[in-house]
Amino acid sequence: MKRQIITNIVVLAVTFIIGTIASIDFLKMRQPDELYPSISLTKTGVLSDYFQGIKGTSGDTRIYYFDSGKPGASVLLLGGTHPNEPAGFITAALMVENIRVISGRVLIIPQACQSGFTCTDPFEGYPQFFTIETQSGKRKFRFGSRVSNPLDQWPDPLVYFQYPSGQKLSGFETRNLNRNYPGRPDGTFTEKVAFAIMNLIKKEDIDLAFDLHEAAPEIPIINAIVYHEKGEEIALTAVLNLESEGLRYSPELSPKNFHGLSHREWGDRTQVVPFLMETSNPIQGRLRGRTNAKLILKGVSKEYKQAQESGAFRIVYESSGEPLKRRVGRHLQGFLAIIDAYNELHEDKQVKVDNLPGYSDLMKNDVGHYLR
Amino acid sequence: MDFELVILIVMLGVFALSVFTFKIPAGMALMLASVAGALAGGEGIPVRHLVEGGFGFLEAILIIATAMIFMKVMEATGALGTISYAMIKSLYRFPTILIIVITIFVMFPGMLTGLSSACILTTGALVIPGLLAMGMPRLAAGSLIAMAAVFGEVAPPISIPVMIIGGGVDMPYIGFAKPLFLASFPIAVLTAVFYRFKYLGKFKIEEVLPKLQAPVYRKHGIKLFIPLIFVIAYLILEQNAVPYLPHLGVPLVFIIGAVMGLGSGEKFNFIHISRNAVRNAMPVMAILVGVGMFLQILTLTGVRGYLAVNALALPVGFKYVAALIMPFFGSAYGSASVIGVPLVYVFIGKNVIVLTSALALLASLGDLMPPPSLLFAYSAQMIDEKNHFNILKKSLLPIAASVLTALAIIVFANDLGRLLF
Repeated sequence: MKRQIITNIVVLAVTFIIGTIASIDFLKMRQPDELYPSISLTKTGVLSDYFQGIKGTSGDTRIYYFDSGKPGASVLLLGGTHPNEPAGFITAALMVENIRVISGRVLIIPQACQSGFTCTDPFEGYPQFFTIETQSGKRKFRFGSRVSNPLDQWPDPLVYFQYPSGQKLSGFETRNLNRNYPGRPDGTFTEKVAFAIMNLIKKEDIDLAFDLHEAAPEIPIINAIVYHEKGEEIALTAVLNLESEGLRYSPELSPKNFHGLSHREWGDRTQVVPFLMETSNPIQGRLRGRTNAKLILKGVSKEYKQAQESGAFRIVYESSGEPLKRRVGRHLQGFLAIIDAYNELHEDKQVKVDNLPGYSDLMKNDVGHYLR
Repeated sequence: MDFELVILIVMLGVFALSVFTFKIPAGMALMLASVAGALAGGEGIPVRHLVEGGFGFLEAILIIATAMIFMKVMEATGALGTISYAMIKSLYRFPTILIIVITIFVMFPGMLTGLSSACILTTGALVIPGLLAMGMPRLAAGSLIAMAAVFGEVAPPISIPVMIIGGGVDMPYIGFAKPLFLASFPIAVLTAVFYRFKYLGKFKIEEVLPKLQAPVYRKHGIKLFIPLIFVIAYLILEQNAVPYLPHLGVPLVFIIGAVMGLGSGEKFNFIHISRNAVRNAMPVMAILVGVGMFLQILTLTGVRGYLAVNALALPVGFKYVAALIMPFFGSAYGSASVIGVPLVYVFIGKNVIVLTSALALLASLGDLMPPPSLLFAYSAQMIDEKNHFNILKKSLLPIAASVLTALAIIVFANDLGRLLF
């Protein structure tokens, strides 16, 4: 009996110590990432300005407004829909810190799924942070989960029935922001965030919207611009222009029967012309090797190289790696090309931006050069 | 030798040494192997990763704990015994049909929830007393319900492994009913018939019935089955997105069902039964915590990618060998996610819906495989077998038949696709 009590005390003590150490690490992810907006910033807001139901929650993410004060189109850009796709978030952050808007206005949400930035996914071995060397020193950014934190929405159903289509997906997807559009005001936490973003698009009368993503190198839709049918002309013009600059982007029409995604629901339910862009991100891939912050930044994976050389299936992976600078550069160049194509086709309502680096700038100077 | 292979050998070595030499429980051995793997991989003792991995199966652990309480309550009220008695009494003249019905009955919760453990912990537990009373050897009975649980996980309308693969390749869950039926029911019936003729001899019903728990239906009436009806109905309705039905989560549904058991049949001590149930489930839950840590360290150190890429990089003629690796990931969901998704691309050109259904069957066999051997660990508890690997040995033939079925479906995926659609 006495021995049993001692064993119990030892087990409890060890559990307490392990729990405390892990908790300290987990809590570090609650610290927000600091961004330093460019002087063109006109105001900041939060997503709950468009739906009070998420006020004060971890879904109540920050919005940066850059208004030229001159007439023109309104553009919305989302990074961090999936916090394990860092090129989306870092591109948005880089734009917040550099952009100048000459006509029209640009709204940027760098961490669309802010809740997902507060945790990582079990079994994935993901790092919690990655560090970028900038001109002012090292800056640490969070690397998160693909979906909302289970502390904000739990338990998952075994099967997720997408609202309102009724489409069935695995239960995990119930916390995936990019499967929850159009959302609903009385729905789950993630549905409410999606609903707020839909409201923003409608209330701010957004003309053009971007959702920046990344994907595993083995996924077919990669280095791609996914477009809603109403943005076909813009997308194809942009892709042609990019091609002439030596950058290949695959144009992908948004499938009509796959619901809950930004490029489908934003386009179907609002006035906006949506685009989603994907780059090749080895740390998301199932074939990746050692999982750490270096893989986020350098994107070098001998496993992907080996898989590509085996020719077993199509993999989009440069043999020198898929560094963050290339992925961010592709997003920026894609964004600029789509804006240019839009302006070509809408002379009466243009949006003009300045002071954003392009692909070749990023490849030459790296990401940190453009972060404050 | 590749460094990742060295890490894997260290992890498997520590696991084997812990279990076989030092007789440490499997769950704890997996945790030790995870720490050893992290150290060998130069990650020190990554406490955050170990805790994160350990919590990866939290929902499954809660389901196991609550389902065990529920089933023990159903046993105590007399509901389980009454159902077994009724099933055998009504079908004993047709033993082949009886075994097929039992197999499909065990599959039923998995068809609705996509969860193999839901089968084995509910309907699986229901039929075990009957199978044993009819003279089926213990190991064979444990094996049959574990195999049926696998087929239930694959069978339509709900197949979570397919949804996981679909999520990875952006494929909606549409049009899977027929191919999933093909990948589950024929092999399930074949397995049932095999067990009937190999393990079920002649039995005299007048000798079997007294061995069963006496039915108590006349004493308690329909209220005896209300908790069971509630749990099954709620899970079905919830899985079919019935409007206005609150999403409670499977563990809470089981707990509500267990509480409803109070007063539904024979009297019992709820606290005592709950404690026993959780105590019984503890080794399985510990295995899941250990497996979670093990998987996290495999990924962190690059071993997971190493295994996946080497499997997929096999020469073209050997790509079916890569598919054969699926069951050996030791978890249906893990296998579907890690190797199922790339395999869809490896077999590109084949009918993707038929192919994914076959891959779901291969992935689901993972729930039988070590190190966790989750389904066998459950069934071992139900038949009082200390070493659940003995049930695994007994199941090798139906496992092989299932693998061959899946491979045949992959080979003929396009032809089957034309027939089915």
